[in-house]
Amino acid sequence: MTHPNASASDYAVATHGLSKRYGRKTALDQVELRVPDGAVYVLVGVNGAGKSTLFKMLMNLERPDAGTAVVFGLDTGREGPEVRAQVGYVPDRQDAPYRSMTCARLLRHVAAFYPEWDHAYADRLVHALGVPPQQLVGGLSKGGTRRLQLVLALAHRPALLLLDEPTDGLDPVVRRRALALLAEHLADTPTTILISTHHIQELESLADHVGMLRDGRLVAQMPREELQRTVRSYQFEVPDGWQVPQELQATALRRSSAGRDVRCTLVGEEQEVTGRLVASGARVRQVSTLALEDAALAFLPEDAS
Amino acid sequence: MLVTLDPRDERPLYLQIVDQVRRALLDGTLRAEDPLPSVRELAGELVVNPRTVSQAYRELEGEGVIYVRRGQGTFVAPTIHPDRRERRALVRGVAERALVEARRNGLEVEELITMIREVAVEEEGEESLTTPALRTAATAATAAKGGAA
Repeated sequence: MTHPNASASDYAVATHGLSKRYGRKTALDQVELRVPDGAVYVLVGVNGAGKSTLFKMLMNLERPDAGTAVVFGLDTGREGPEVRAQVGYVPDRQDAPYRSMTCARLLRHVAAFYPEWDHAYADRLVHALGVPPQQLVGGLSKGGTRRLQLVLALAHRPALLLLDEPTDGLDPVVRRRALALLAEHLADTPTTILISTHHIQELESLADHVGMLRDGRLVAQMPREELQRTVRSYQFEVPDGWQVPQELQATALRRSSAGRDVRCTLVGEEQEVTGRLVASGARVRQVSTLALEDAALAFLPEDAS
Repeated sequence: MLVTLDPRDERPLYLQIVDQVRRALLDGTLRAEDPLPSVRELAGELVVNPRTVSQAYRELEGEGVIYVRRGQGTFVAPTIHPDRRERRALVRGVAERALVEARRNGLEVEELITMIREVAVEEEGEESLTTPALRTAATAATAAKGGAA
């Protein structure tokens, strides 16, 4: 369900016509992102779809060519520092600054910037994620850097977490622990989370909103239940010379067929879609729901998987 | 009580949690006045959104199955008689899922009910009978029963 009458203040993050080009490549094209307050919004897209560019714009680390981004009612371009003070950000880039500091020193250093820094919580996170306090930041592995970045993002309990592939480089055990910490964090602190990932299935039970980014365009965004209700796999038998009905054509996303059996992913309420298929002469044999990942991938190009 | 979620189960996650609490009451793993894990604990353990756990607990609280003692946590209601009502709710859930599946496959309710009986008789037969001759007899009996109904 979308909120047509909701005012801007219902959204923790909103972008309006956000666009960015790098030379001839379009990184973002008229993006209208809407992240409801308190949501766990998962941004899905292949590499190069524009996810990281979008995060950087919300942090005001990159300037848009057109459009605006608003976080908690603040324009990120004009009020960048005020926005950043309320955000915990895990960037896509792995090289952390302050390479010659120890992890413990960097944590103290960053803590000084945030009056809300929760020292006891930071210690707990360091322990739970296994961040080595005495190791130099520059000497950390890819996964080690990720874990440190997670502590830095969470420990001041910001109102908004921008997590760009936060579990990238973590081994499966740490990955699960990090996500469990995130679930507990949500229970303790009212937080809005915008998170991008290659592994949608690991966020399956945390996500409540999903947005699909394809070639810089946000092709769809909706609550998770809506995505799973309206994107389903249909298996049906068709007569000779059968064509996809006109009104389903635009949404016929993936199709595979063996003889007269067709299976495709279609978007729409099940009853309506089934009705249209039957009207076209097809015999619907089976309708199945899809895992969140498959439902989301239906909006992305075939070569995405 | 151990809660496990099935990612292939298409029902909302909160309903899966509700059902598991009901099941735990039925099989005695949870009893009157037993404490339930906090929302935070269960969310962390299952790696689910805490809102999902809260929703499940609200539903159970609304049904009078559990109650919240301020500052102390969530507990199973003291006067819970799980046998009848919980059992009914559980059966209802299983029936609803089976019906959805039946309709999708274009089956009639009666066909489904008849087949459930047949399959159950067959399985019971397979468990208690060991010789092939007896199993054949049981299958024949099942077929006769199905034909009579």
